[in-house]
Amino acid sequence: MHIGAWSRALTLATAGVFIAACGPGGTTTENLASPDKQILRANNGTEPNSFDPTQQTYTYERAVGIQTFDSLFRAKADGSDVEPVGATSYNVSPDGLTYTFHLRQNEKWSDGKPVVAGDWVYGWKHFLNPALAAGYVDPFFDQTIKGASGYGNVDVSSASAVDAYLNGLGLSAPDDHTFVVQLDHPAAYFKWVATLWMAVPLRKDIIEQAAGGAFASTDATKAEAWANNAATIVGNGPYKIKEIASKDHVTLVPNPNYWAPAPHLQQIIYYEIADGNTAYSQYQTGALDVIGVPLADVTVVRSDPKLSKEAILIPTLSQYWISMNTTRAPLDDKNVRMALAKSVDRDKLVNDIEHGNGKSLSTFIPKGMSGYDTSDNAQSFDPAAAKQLLATSGKKDALAKMKLLTRNTTASKTLNQFLADQWSTNLGVNIQLDVIDSKTVTRDIRKGQFDIYGLDGWIGDYPDQQDWFDIFVTGSCHNLNWGCLSDPSYDDLVTKADAESDKTKRASMYSQAQKKLIDNAVVAFMYQPYEYDLVKAYVKGLTVTTTDDQNLPGDGRYNTAFITQHT
Amino acid sequence: MAVIAGRPARGALLPPQLRALTGTRSGALAIFVVRRILWMVPIVFFVIVITFTLMHLAPGSPWDKGGGRQLSDTVVNNLNIRYGLNKPVFTPWFDFSTGHFIPFRWDDQFKLYIWNVAHFDFGLSYQYQGKTVSTLLLESWPYTATIGVLAFLLIIPIGVGLGVVAALRQNTRIDYITMGFATIAASFPNFVIGALMVVAFSVLAYRATGGNFYLPAAGFAMDDSLIMPVVTLALLPIAYTARLTRASTLETIRQDFVRTAWAKGLPERLVVVRHVLKNSLIPVVTTLGPTFAFLVTGSVIVETVFAIPGIGRAFVVAIESRDYPMILGTTILFSLVVAIANLVVDVLYVFIDPRVRLT
Repeated sequence: MHIGAWSRALTLATAGVFIAACGPGGTTTENLASPDKQILRANNGTEPNSFDPTQQTYTYERAVGIQTFDSLFRAKADGSDVEPVGATSYNVSPDGLTYTFHLRQNEKWSDGKPVVAGDWVYGWKHFLNPALAAGYVDPFFDQTIKGASGYGNVDVSSASAVDAYLNGLGLSAPDDHTFVVQLDHPAAYFKWVATLWMAVPLRKDIIEQAAGGAFASTDATKAEAWANNAATIVGNGPYKIKEIASKDHVTLVPNPNYWAPAPHLQQIIYYEIADGNTAYSQYQTGALDVIGVPLADVTVVRSDPKLSKEAILIPTLSQYWISMNTTRAPLDDKNVRMALAKSVDRDKLVNDIEHGNGKSLSTFIPKGMSGYDTSDNAQSFDPAAAKQLLATSGKKDALAKMKLLTRNTTASKTLNQFLADQWSTNLGVNIQLDVIDSKTVTRDIRKGQFDIYGLDGWIGDYPDQQDWFDIFVTGSCHNLNWGCLSDPSYDDLVTKADAESDKTKRASMYSQAQKKLIDNAVVAFMYQPYEYDLVKAYVKGLTVTTTDDQNLPGDGRYNTAFITQHT
Repeated sequence: MAVIAGRPARGALLPPQLRALTGTRSGALAIFVVRRILWMVPIVFFVIVITFTLMHLAPGSPWDKGGGRQLSDTVVNNLNIRYGLNKPVFTPWFDFSTGHFIPFRWDDQFKLYIWNVAHFDFGLSYQYQGKTVSTLLLESWPYTATIGVLAFLLIIPIGVGLGVVAALRQNTRIDYITMGFATIAASFPNFVIGALMVVAFSVLAYRATGGNFYLPAAGFAMDDSLIMPVVTLALLPIAYTARLTRASTLETIRQDFVRTAWAKGLPERLVVVRHVLKNSLIPVVTTLGPTFAFLVTGSVIVETVFAIPGIGRAFVVAIESRDYPMILGTTILFSLVVAIANLVVDVLYVFIDPRVRLT
């Protein structure tokens, strides 16, 4: 199941799991293969829609973006805080409104020129240009940066209007090594926003050269011309693009001018094999080193003596749930929603449908980040209590008329059939599946035209709770709050927590907000999906962290990885 | 199909300078080809009209994601402006509510598209930022065309050969084996054959030989990686062609002129090649045109199973993601391929069958 495909980013595991699974860790490099054998071949699944990181939204795009461009920060390996990459330190003004980033002194572009603060201002403005309509501007940037809130109201056909908007943004470069961002309101999570892969510096001279000279800020085609040619994709990241073989593979080689010590891996080849079974065959014939195991082959891999040793199970920072339309009777009744939530056996779901690749979870925040707390068992599986709740509400017949909106994919149909069976068995209510084409499902949920929709979910962009709780804030229906919850007391808690700089106070407010979500059964929380990957035994030293991309374990820190001698 | 025998007044509508040409066989052929090429303009136009309409009737917008968080309304609005989707799709000519004609406007999506196509500008893809549809087609089509042409080259000797042999040895073991193979090949879906071949010739072969002999399961190069996709793609048309050739040959064998050929003591080789084959191939050639078009426009299944970056999968992905310019560009290319393949078949008739006259 890949439900929250949009921002599929975070995976998490304790270091111990990975040291056991992937060999001796990043420090010992015994038995190192020769440099010409230091090639990592992984399946990234799909070609990036753009090689301009500011335009990237999908995990298969970010996978290339984070190798070629560095943001100001990245998440620490354990996800507890940020650590420096493009910046070495930062200060926040006492009012929480001005972030001053001190940039890395010796940082260079892959063509050898120094990275200066002006490149950061240019890159961020390129990203925030409304005419380019980058997917991640809203809500992370336009709702935090000073002067950015008018993002949606700029006349994108007028160059002067776009220029006026961009010049009014709170972004400045007082000197070559200082990048200042002014905020609209205090946002304690802004350091996490600065880890996002699309907030990078860009080279004005190269972009204009590729466009054939200076261009109007409304000309999206010229602004993106540089990103289609490996030669003009000049980045500040650890690797640079050597070759783009469209829809087949992308080859990355180390950036010779990168500030950190040279990595062992001399080539990373990301193949774009869409069919998981084909990738699995390629892995078995030695043509790929890293793949995600297709769901259909999970049992085979588990029982295979050789493959099972190369398999790793990675908890992801994500959570899946069922959305219920709180504006439609009888789902406007909390007891009815709770009855649905309490009558699904999540352990059985994880075992039967996901072949054990997941963790049943009837609370919101997934295991592996702050806020994870399973003490609230209001939604836990309890068929007797569920029947009781439904009987008390007296709305059993009305509930039986509800439909479960299902995307026309095998994965969605299998899962939703399971849910319908559970409600039939445990609640005595037969809810029909409404299976339609995926695009139509998206259109319908955006308009709020559904009864029950699932499975839906969220994959964190960074390990901070703000990224999660903002989902259910009033007015965010288009994002993921399909049931359109509007609870002023919840909004108040989350808004205050987002701005609060005191960690303890912040955690306490998020905790109260989580309790509201669970107890009101706005959605029925189901399970945290895990990722099941295969990594060849000769690939060592992968540092698997909370910010790795789908089926690319350790891709945030390839500098520790290496290939050992093998036949 | 403009294959009509013995119609009078050919070339009556042509200018006098050209009318003389119609008298000769090659002159008539040249005029026929030119006319058919000119006909492709209205064909493409109607293909665009139909595709354009159906495409915009399909629910969903190019910016809707397959799941998870969606783009906000402000971003969607800016994207629509960026790609001209904020303009009306069609503008009507007449307003029934007021009873007035609507002033003509050039800038609806349909007219702008036609205008651009007339200038050979097929627009920018919505999925791949800053890439033109022409670039995407030129990137992916060579892969598909290579595999399609190779598969086509297999069909003619194998499909026709098996069909003729089965017909000449009708109701013998050879006939049964050949037709049994054809039935199996025609009834197994591509994805089953492809997947079975990958398991047998890639995975199991790799294990059995310790990696010394196996066929690659994916990728595209001018080497053994082409074997499985070409065979998978060719199997169904081979089976179809073999059955058709057999049926057609059986019919020809029973004709009087074949009996005459036998009776006057011609050797078997001459009877088969000169009398039987030449006549029985006419219906086969008719199907080879569309078959060629089918092969070189790609198979989404073969391209997915063997991870070939071809146009068949690009087309399906474009439809799934509502990449309008890419859908239209691919449809136009496909319709031209079909039209040209049919034209070639019609021209081939002239050489195979002297009775055929072109008008």
